[in-house]
Amino acid sequence: MTESIQSNTQRVGPILAVPLLSAILTATFSRAWIIFASLLAARGGYFPGFFRSHNGHFMNPDTNYQKKKKKNPDIISWLQVTRVMARMASADIMCVESKAVKEKFTGIIRQQDVRATEIDKVDMYLSFRPGDIVRALVLSLGDARAYYLSTAKNELGVVSAQSLTGATMVPISWTEMQCPLTGQVEKRKVATIE
Amino acid sequence: MEVEKSTSLPTSLIDKSVFPGDIILDLTSMPDQTIKLGAGLRQDCDVVSAVKYGILRFKKPNKYWVESSQKRYVPSAEDTVLGVVMDAKPDNFLVDIKGPMIAFLPVLAFEGGTRRNIPKFEIGTLLYVRVVKANNCMNPELSCTDASGKAAEFGPLRDGYMFETSTGLARMLLSSPTCPVLEALGKKLSFEIAVGLNGRVWVNASSPSTVILISNAIMRSEFLSAAQQKIMVEKLMQRFQV
Repeated sequence: MTESIQSNTQRVGPILAVPLLSAILTATFSRAWIIFASLLAARGGYFPGFFRSHNGHFMNPDTNYQKKKKKNPDIISWLQVTRVMARMASADIMCVESKAVKEKFTGIIRQQDVRATEIDKVDMYLSFRPGDIVRALVLSLGDARAYYLSTAKNELGVVSAQSLTGATMVPISWTEMQCPLTGQVEKRKVATIE
Repeated sequence: MEVEKSTSLPTSLIDKSVFPGDIILDLTSMPDQTIKLGAGLRQDCDVVSAVKYGILRFKKPNKYWVESSQKRYVPSAEDTVLGVVMDAKPDNFLVDIKGPMIAFLPVLAFEGGTRRNIPKFEIGTLLYVRVVKANNCMNPELSCTDASGKAAEFGPLRDGYMFETSTGLARMLLSSPTCPVLEALGKKLSFEIAVGLNGRVWVNASSPSTVILISNAIMRSEFLSAAQQKIMVEKLMQRFQV
């Protein structure tokens, strides 16, 4: 039987039912043999069980209502670093999720968002260089100039970079990449993609 | 174009002039060694070649570099330079050190520097500073303290006269034992001098004519040998009856 939302919701307090046996119900409390609702919620469906309310339907307060407000899913973006400064690196956002962007967006990776550990000892020059391709998480819309991005996870960071001699480097660890032609090792915050 | 090649002796070109393209080291003949390459050298797969003209220098155990002289300065860490204040921001002073990018001098990088006693430098102030961090993509960072945090002669240079020279002459003036021109001048005149590795020299003396004499003597001494420098200084001083 469909009922409108308004008639379904019960305010806190009204008597729901008179329990014949004690039972544990979510978001209700009982006092003096009467079950009260303790949360504003839509009336749930029929609860075949111990009790029936006065008109046959049981209150099933939706305690997951507060959890229903979904956590925003992580948005992974792909960037190319344009400038490296003392406290932040700025980058052009090229792809978001799996789509290439059509207009130019700028992002900033701040010193405290480069990695998860020892965030005040981060040296930006040992994490990124101009021209590196980076996989980063979008933290927020940031300010008028740029989005705020983060690489503070194992799978985020520099994905591809060129060495000083121009060859594409091979990652060795999460902090180092090596040039295949010369063997020189350069420091980056490398993404470990498993 | 013939290329000079040093085959079995990697050391044959040390302290000699090298041209761009000269092969300095053949790395296949030196396996399992760590070599540090300084300015003017480049590694191409198995070969280290020079990219600038200059004298090849070697410092034990493993550092090679090309020493060249030019009018522009490439900032590198731990150099002491003379900078000119261009602007003051809340966090940094912007200081020109004759390099490709303007350098940042943090407002707290002074001995006993706190937010309360931030020095006030006017635009154009000459500073003797130390380069803390320098690389090819970021603005260099400077400091007015030495590595342990003491002031150690760093800071503003008042009065005197500053002129610009090449980096080679600046290095010669800073060499030890004392450069011949400075030694000859110091025998008869009293003055103070600050030399920056970026090619800037500051001279201060009691009278302007002394300052002019010293500056001219230094500028003329760049390509003279030690004996020639002494003769040049003596002639200058005779002429002005010092």
